[in-house]
Amino acid sequence: MDIAGGLLYGLGVALAPGNLLACFVGVFVGTLIGVLPGIGPVATMSLLLPVTYAMSPAASVIMMAGIYYGAMYGGSTTSILVNLPGEAASVVTCLDGYQMARQGRAGPALGIAAFGSFLAGTVSVVGIMLLAPPLTKVALSFGPPEIFGLLLLGFTMVTYLSAGSKLRAVAMALAGMLLGTVGLDPITATPRFTFGSLTLADGIGLVPMIMGLFGISEVLLNIEKGIKQDVFLTRVTGLLPTREDWKRSAAPIARGSALGFLLGILPGIGAIIPTFISYALERRVSKHPERFGTGMIEGVAGPESANNAATGGAMIPLLTLGIAPNVVMAVLLGAFLIHGVQPGPLMIRERPEMFWGVVASMYVGNIILLVLNLPLIGLWVQLLRVPYGILFPLILLFCVIGVYSESGNMWDIVVMLVFAVVGYLMKKFGFEAAPLVLAFVLGRMAEESIRQSLLLSRGSFDILLTRPLATTFIALAVAIVVLPAALPGTRAALRMIGRETTE
Amino acid sequence: MRRDAWPPAVLAVAGVLAINEARRLRFGTVAVPGPGFFPLALAVSFAAVSLVLLVIALRASGVGQLDGGAGTDRHPEEGGAKWKVLATLAAMTLYAFALEPAGFVVSTAGLVLFFFRVLERQRWVVAVPASMLTSIATYVVFKMWLQVRLPPGPWGL
Repeated sequence: MDIAGGLLYGLGVALAPGNLLACFVGVFVGTLIGVLPGIGPVATMSLLLPVTYAMSPAASVIMMAGIYYGAMYGGSTTSILVNLPGEAASVVTCLDGYQMARQGRAGPALGIAAFGSFLAGTVSVVGIMLLAPPLTKVALSFGPPEIFGLLLLGFTMVTYLSAGSKLRAVAMALAGMLLGTVGLDPITATPRFTFGSLTLADGIGLVPMIMGLFGISEVLLNIEKGIKQDVFLTRVTGLLPTREDWKRSAAPIARGSALGFLLGILPGIGAIIPTFISYALERRVSKHPERFGTGMIEGVAGPESANNAATGGAMIPLLTLGIAPNVVMAVLLGAFLIHGVQPGPLMIRERPEMFWGVVASMYVGNIILLVLNLPLIGLWVQLLRVPYGILFPLILLFCVIGVYSESGNMWDIVVMLVFAVVGYLMKKFGFEAAPLVLAFVLGRMAEESIRQSLLLSRGSFDILLTRPLATTFIALAVAIVVLPAALPGTRAALRMIGRETTE
Repeated sequence: MRRDAWPPAVLAVAGVLAINEARRLRFGTVAVPGPGFFPLALAVSFAAVSLVLLVIALRASGVGQLDGGAGTDRHPEEGGAKWKVLATLAAMTLYAFALEPAGFVVSTAGLVLFFFRVLERQRWVVAVPASMLTSIATYVVFKMWLQVRLPPGPWGL
C-alpha cells in the first residue's frame, strides 16, 4: 500500500463511528487531565488501560494516543491562565503565556497555543506517514544486536539529558533495570528476586509502578504543600490571534514543529525536553531576547508546537520497531500488547488497520482538539476552580481502581503505595522518575537482546561491533558520553540545555 | 549525617543487598549468560554508582561544615503538612487490605469520608453524604458502565 492509499485506508478506519468516538473520548479526557494539575497523561493512560479490554484493538490505541496529545493541548491552558503547568511539557509556556494573560492577552496566547499545536500535530502526522514506511524496511533488518545498540543509545540519552545530576539519573536507570529483572528469567524461567512471592513472580507491574511514582506521589506532594488556586479572572476574549501575532509566531511554530518531531523520535527524549530547547532557540534567534519572559508570543508558539510534534515523533520508534522511546509510549505499547498486537516492522503489513488507523486518527484528533478547545476554554477555566480537596480523593481513587482492575490482585495496590513513597522521596531528594521507569521497561528487552546476541555469536562481543547499524548506535551512545568531555563547546551546549531544563 | 547523604546511603545498602541476592542465581559464562548474569552486573554497577554518590554527598557535607554548617539545612521551605502525607498513606494501606473483605462501595466510602472529614475538615453533614455519593458514583461509572473489575464485597457491592 502506498502512502496516499494508506492514509485513505487509515481515514476510513479512524472515521468509523466506534473509532471516532474513541478518538473523541481520548482527546477530551486528555485535555481534561492536561488542564487539571496533579494528574498527567501517564497515570491517566494507565488508569484507562483496563477500560480498553472491552474495546477493539484499534479503538483502544486510538483513545490512548488521543489522551497523550490531548494532554499536550490542555497543559497549556493552565500554564497561561494560572501560571501552573497542568502537565510537565507545558512548564515553559508559563514563562511568557502567563505574562501575556496578565497583560490581558490570554485569548491570543491560548489561541496561538491551540493553532500551533494543531499545525505541529499536522507536521508530525505527515512526518510519520513519510518516515515510518521506509523505516519499517530498515527495521526488518534489525536483529538482537541492533536492538541492543538502540536501547543502549536510549539509556544514554535519557540519563544524559535528564535535568538534574547525571550520576543520579544513571543510578535511577540502573535501579529501574534491576527492578525489571524481578520475576522469571526471560530465557530459563528461573525466579529472580521474588523471595517466594507469587505477586513478584509475575514481575513488578508497570501500571502500579507508574501510578505510584507519577500519580500518588504527586498528590502526596500537593496535599503536603497545599495547592493555591489563583485563576486569572479577566475574561478570556479574542481567541483568534491578530495578523501581527501570526507574523511573529509563524517561524517559531515551524521551528518548534520540526525540532519537536525530530527530537521526539530519539529514544529517551519525550515531550518535555523539546519545549525547553525550542524556548532557548526562540530566545537565541530573537532580535529581543531580553524581552522573553515578559509576554512574548514566540515563547508560547514555539514550545507548544514542539511538545505536540514530539508526541507524533515518539510514535515512530513504537510503530516501526516496537520500542517505547519514553514512558508514555511504554503505556501505549501496553495497550497494543493486551490486544495481542505486537507493534514493529511487521505491523504495517499484517495489521494495516492498526498502523494507518492510528496515524490517521491522530490527524482527526488534532482537528477535534482545535474545534473542541477554543469554544471549551470557558469550561476548562471553571474546572480549574474545583478545589483540590475534592479533586485529590478522586485522583487517589482512580489510581486504586486502575491498578486493581488491571490485575484483580490487591497486592498490586500495596506495590503502588510502595512506589508512591519511593516517588515522593525521589522528588524530595531531587531524583528523577523517568529514567527509572524507562529503564524498567527497556531493561528486559536489553537483557533479552544482549543474551540472544551472545548466543548468536557464541559468546563474542564482536557481534556488536561488526554489524553497521548496531555499531552506529553504540558509537552514538559513546559519543554522547565522550564528546562533552573532549569538546568544551558540546559541554557548554549540553550544560545550557541542562540549565534551561532545570530553571 | 547530612540530609543529602541519606538517599545515596540507602541506595548503596539496597545495592549490596541486591548483590547478595543476585549471587545466589546461576551466573553462567559470558558465552552463555545464566539468569544471574544480568542481575549481578546491574547490582554491582548500581551499588558502585550509589557509593560514588554517597562519597560526593559526604565530601560536600564536609565542605558545608567548614562553611559553618551551611549545608545542613538547605530545604527550610519543606516543612509543610507532613502528617497529611503519613495519614493518607496509612489510610490507603488500610483501604487496600479492607477492599476485598468489605467490598468496594463500603471501603471506598470509608476512605473518602476519612479524606473529607480528617484531612479537609469538612462538617459531618457534608462529609458523610459526599463520601457515600463519591463511592456509589465511581461504582456506577467504573463497574456498571465501563465494566471494570472491582472487588465484590459481602453484598455483591
